[in-house]
Amino acid sequence: MRNAVAEPIPQGPSAAVEVRGLAKIYRLGRVDVPALRDVSFRVEPGSFTAVTGVSGSGKSTLLNLVGGLDTASAGSITVMGKDLALMSRDGLARYRRSGVGMIFQSFNLLSSRTALENVEFPLLFAGVPKAERRERAASLLDQVGLAGRSRHRPIELSGGEQQRVAIARALVNRPPLVLADEPTGNLDSRTAREIVGLLAELNRSRELTILMVTHETALAREFAHAVIRLHDGRVESEEKLR
Amino acid sequence: MRFRDQLELSLSNLWKVKLRTLLTTAGVVVGIGALVSMMSFGTGMQKNVTETFKSLELFNSITVFPEGSGPGGSDPDRIDPHQPRRVPAGTAKAVLDDRALDAISKLRGVETVYPDVNFPALVRFNGREEFRLVQVLPAKIAGSRMIKLRAGKPYLSDDADEIIVNDYLLRRLDVKDPASAIGKRIEIASVSFDLGRLNPMDFSSIFQGGKLPVSKETYEFRIVGVSENMGFGPGSVWNELMIPPGAARKIKKLPFTSIWDIFRLQEGAIGYSALNVRLSSPGEVDAVKARIKEMGFSTFALADQFAQVRQAFFFLDMILAAVGMIAIFVAALGIVNTMVMSILERTREIGIMKAVGAGDGDVRSVFVFESSIIGFAGGLLGYGLGWIVSRVINRVVNYFLARQSLPAIDYFAFPWWLFAGALAFAVAVSLAAGIYPAHRAALVDPVKALRHD
Repeated sequence: MRNAVAEPIPQGPSAAVEVRGLAKIYRLGRVDVPALRDVSFRVEPGSFTAVTGVSGSGKSTLLNLVGGLDTASAGSITVMGKDLALMSRDGLARYRRSGVGMIFQSFNLLSSRTALENVEFPLLFAGVPKAERRERAASLLDQVGLAGRSRHRPIELSGGEQQRVAIARALVNRPPLVLADEPTGNLDSRTAREIVGLLAELNRSRELTILMVTHETALAREFAHAVIRLHDGRVESEEKLR
Repeated sequence: MRFRDQLELSLSNLWKVKLRTLLTTAGVVVGIGALVSMMSFGTGMQKNVTETFKSLELFNSITVFPEGSGPGGSDPDRIDPHQPRRVPAGTAKAVLDDRALDAISKLRGVETVYPDVNFPALVRFNGREEFRLVQVLPAKIAGSRMIKLRAGKPYLSDDADEIIVNDYLLRRLDVKDPASAIGKRIEIASVSFDLGRLNPMDFSSIFQGGKLPVSKETYEFRIVGVSENMGFGPGSVWNELMIPPGAARKIKKLPFTSIWDIFRLQEGAIGYSALNVRLSSPGEVDAVKARIKEMGFSTFALADQFAQVRQAFFFLDMILAAVGMIAIFVAALGIVNTMVMSILERTREIGIMKAVGAGDGDVRSVFVFESSIIGFAGGLLGYGLGWIVSRVINRVVNYFLARQSLPAIDYFAFPWWLFAGALAFAVAVSLAAGIYPAHRAALVDPVKALRHD
């Protein structure tokens, strides 16, 4: 699976995310279905990188692997100098807790909890005291423009508002890296633009490294620093925009 | 994760599915309730018997019988009628007379010895008559804890013409208020042999329908005390009329009270049919028993029987607990079912927990907490249910007992360990029931759980 590296990959300890020879094979019954084959790239710290590609190109699989939700079949992922493959299950949980924040297409908010409670939810597992949780969550909701909606439940919020809650939740543990998996997939084009704009804003103001999977090439080209195109589980092209 | 956060998270999860939580908890409540009432019944019965034995000082009493006679000689082989009676070698058949009484009362550890003397008599009071056995009881015993008085006081002298009457007999004599009988006169009519008319060795004339060779005499006593009817009556003090020995000696009465006495009468020496021995402490029972046996008498001590009683209670408790366990087992299955269902429904939530950084342990403990909370609440309410059910049963049973003029008894006991044990057991069972579902929850794959369809 793992080929010799054809193109030289920029080396250096300063990469926020470094992916080398990454492969993921799903086993469906007796058939092996490769989702990713020999993917390598690097994400600079503080950059906003978009991963584009058609459905089934392996974008979401890539993001789940970088997010520590899944484990690779081959290759390595290094985030802030740490190899995810060397982490235990608990180590990966700690990484997900404070090393990375995730945003999903379907928001994945807890429907029975208010916006504020959803944002503070990750802090429960970090053992942060209640008063501090409240404070941090409220301040983040304010930053994503939802100060007045903190007592609302997800069902009472629009799609864009729900995604803002999810963004606040992703940031609450102050991770250096945020992964967004099709964050605009369930939104109309105007709201989608607002959400990506918010991510770009956060990238600038907080020096946050963002890796966003999207199939909306136009939005990616408008806001991202770099665009990686995946096709059939491989990197098709890598483009630096600014 | 902090303990308080964990508790709040689990409680809010349970609150979201109120009805299901309620039903699952109800299962535990019923199970623990059944177990608690069963155990408290077993404990209560044991406590009743033990305390009655203690309050009647039955643990420090020995009854002495002449060799080979009397009820329940303590050696089982003597009960077998085919076995020859064994008399200790070299001793003549020992007679339970005043000399023996004197010898026994001088043994170390012996407090009081008094003969077990009963005689039949006709009681006349309040215009009514009843046929009863009168017990001769020394003033020392009448004034002891063995006799509980409902009204009045015990007689203080062994020679007083005073009598203690049992409240049950009073009711039969149509006296409603026991206190009203105090100080009243009661007539005791006893029968005795009219020696002028009969050769006491020739009983055949009686059985052939001849005129009874007896005479009847009436004596008057003053009622000084009314004793309580004992709920449990295994012992020597259960007669309904008690008089002091000095007064008894003045009464002409039949020299026997049982068939045994008639046989022994033919053998010659008669003595007493039994002696009641009271010891200074229960610890002296074995030593005194051995000494009395050396004198050639047989003994009976309730303390011996009590070991068997305890064993019987142990089995009773085990059976009751086993019945309760079945209910608990069913409740535990209910918890497993609820938790497994809940995990299936909450797969996405578990995925979210993991995505935001919950470890396997965090996920596991959320579910273990939930089942433990069910167990704790179930244990607490179950204990309450068990208590209420026992109280109701107790009320009903005692209502019927009271209608039969029997004293109220508390059939259930609720010692502190029953509460602590019920709660601990409920939590432990729920914890055990929660382990498998929690383990499954911890293994949920977040990628699959969060996949949107």
